[in-house]
Amino acid sequence: MKKPIIFILLFILKWNGIIAQVNVCFNPMFDGSKLVLNKQYFIANSTDSIQIEKFKFYVTNIELFNNDQLLFKEKNSFHLIDAADSTTFNLMINLEPNINFNQIKFNIGIDSITNYAGAMGGDLDPTKGMYWTWQNGYINFKIEGKSNLSIAKSNNFVFHLGGYQNTFSTLQTIQLPVQYLSVFKINMAIDKWINEIDLTKQNHIMSPSKESVILSNKLSTIFSVSK
Amino acid sequence: MKIKTIVISFIIILLFAFASVDKSLFSIPKNWPKPVYNFKKNQLTDSKILLGRVLFYDPILSRNNTISCANCHSQYTAFTHLDHALSHGIDDRIGTRNSLALMNLAWHQSFMWDGAINHLDMQALAPISNHDEMDENIKHVTEKLQASQIYPLLYFNAFSDSTITGENTLKAISQFMLTLVSANSKYDKVKRMEDSFTKQEENGYRLFKQNCASCHTEPLFTNREFENNGLPIDSLLNDTGRKRITQNNLDYLKFKVPTLRNIEFSNPYMHDGRFKRIYEVINHYTNIQSSKTLSPKLQKKIILTSNEKVDLTAFLLTLTDKEFLFNPKFGFPKEVLLTSKK
Ligand code: HEC
Ligand code: HEC
Repeated sequence: MKKPIIFILLFILKWNGIIAQVNVCFNPMFDGSKLVLNKQYFIANSTDSIQIEKFKFYVTNIELFNNDQLLFKEKNSFHLIDAADSTTFNLMINLEPNINFNQIKFNIGIDSITNYAGAMGGDLDPTKGMYWTWQNGYINFKIEGKSNLSIAKSNNFVFHLGGYQNTFSTLQTIQLPVQYLSVFKINMAIDKWINEIDLTKQNHIMSPSKESVILSNKLSTIFSVSK
Repeated sequence: MKIKTIVISFIIILLFAFASVDKSLFSIPKNWPKPVYNFKKNQLTDSKILLGRVLFYDPILSRNNTISCANCHSQYTAFTHLDHALSHGIDDRIGTRNSLALMNLAWHQSFMWDGAINHLDMQALAPISNHDEMDENIKHVTEKLQASQIYPLLYFNAFSDSTITGENTLKAISQFMLTLVSANSKYDKVKRMEDSFTKQEENGYRLFKQNCASCHTEPLFTNREFENNGLPIDSLLNDTGRKRITQNNLDYLKFKVPTLRNIEFSNPYMHDGRFKRIYEVINHYTNIQSSKTLSPKLQKKIILTSNEKVDLTAFLLTLTDKEFLFNPKFGFPKEVLLTSKK
């Protein structure tokens, strides 16, 4: 007889909204401050410049840990973050009360199973412009812009990173320590990643490839957590 | 306690009964394998199939509203492109491949001659976006559909939601394609003991099982694998097939094994449409070009007398399914498309 009562109590507690909420805010940055699209940035110690026109990526499979112990796994965890729409930066996570986590783990990109799963909606809808059609699959990470270093037409550069099959898998798992509980930022130093690319030689990736894997692997170092 | 479990399992069984496919919309022909398509995620209904059929026949999917799926996949040719070796697309640009016949797609794991597409739902995006084909993109397509007179209502009927999304558009097109089941040829009737082969067809069937069935496996008449069947490469098109996708040398010149059902009507043949007639295809198989990736199934030379070739052809003609080719359920949806002004 006792068990049902506990269940009912738990149910009422949830119903009343006594749930801990965590606000994770993704924060794309350039040169130490919030990324501004279409702004001309100068590359350190040079007269070369760069503008970012588009910056979109998928954050998926969010998990919270206490050391090695998994405490929370978000259901249906697919979030498209778009620098052109700041409402996409904030992710709200609803937790049971009194969950003490000290690590966050998430993926940048869409896992292989989801890539095989057919048409999906919401942030995964192919109208979101994050889908390759001729050889189908999600684009995990998209950055486009201009730089005088690029020799392409109008000095453009276009990096659409993705690919999920075997050696072309580009999914990145990021794990970060967190010491704040209810609100924190996940900063992304985009300049750090761009500086790894020689734009004079490379200005274009638009399909699953070795290059896409190499540039995706470099993403893992640009994340940090702050208040 | 016991009654409770019985009631619960009964409810679960009921739920599953409803979750399974409606038999009148799709049924698995006797002795066929299980379909690959996951119908639970996209349950067939009349109104969704109708929406998919209207989309399939409506050129609204292309940039200048001139080309529909049916332009390259016409029912009377088993949903392939009649008499064009390389399918023509928008502005008459010529694509690089022969169109594939569409049938029994629920049993396929991957699509296109090289398997570039891993799910039927995603197939429609390729022609909608390819520069050589319909030259549109799905976002713009959904906007056009939303602004049209008929579609918001059709979507509402199908999905209880008149907001048009990419997901629903693709799922509806899949639904229509899933209903394209061809399983009522003379061959099928013979298998069901409703008909019998002539002597010639019988001998052709024997030759077929001996030489062809390892790849064109019954009852789908494809093993759904990628194989190199010994065609010399066309140096102009330089189509490397499956290798394009896997970038693996072992996949060089491998192409999806196409079904042979309705082969009488789906010419021209092969990924580049190089053969117009069935006898040319058979002559190819008795004269195969060897190469590193040639299928082991074709290492032993196929020898056929001219009589045997005729018999084999006679058997292939028993794979024609007139009911499929002329089924009005798969045809142009005049009742919707002609009565509406766009
Ligand atoms: C311009 C001609 C053209 C148009 C228009 C076209 N297709 Fe195709 N279709 C093709 C060609 C060519 C192939 C094979 C391409 C390849 O393998 O690279 C193909 C392949 C397919 C396949 C794969 C079949 C299999 O067995 O692998 C499906 C399914 C399909 N098309 C559905 C559609 C749908 C749905 C539409 C409309 C949204 C459409 N097609 C519009 C030419 C066309
Ligand atoms: C090793 C596997 C294999 C064997 C054995 C084989 N085929 Fe094929 N067949 C294929 C492949 C692969 C294709 C498509 C090749 C391409 O387009 O590059 C094909 C294409 C065809 C086509 C054209 C279908 C279309 O829609 O374009 C016909 C007809 C055909 N085969 C008949 C036969 C016959 C008859 C035999 C026996 C004499 C046979 N095949 C044996 C693999 C095989």
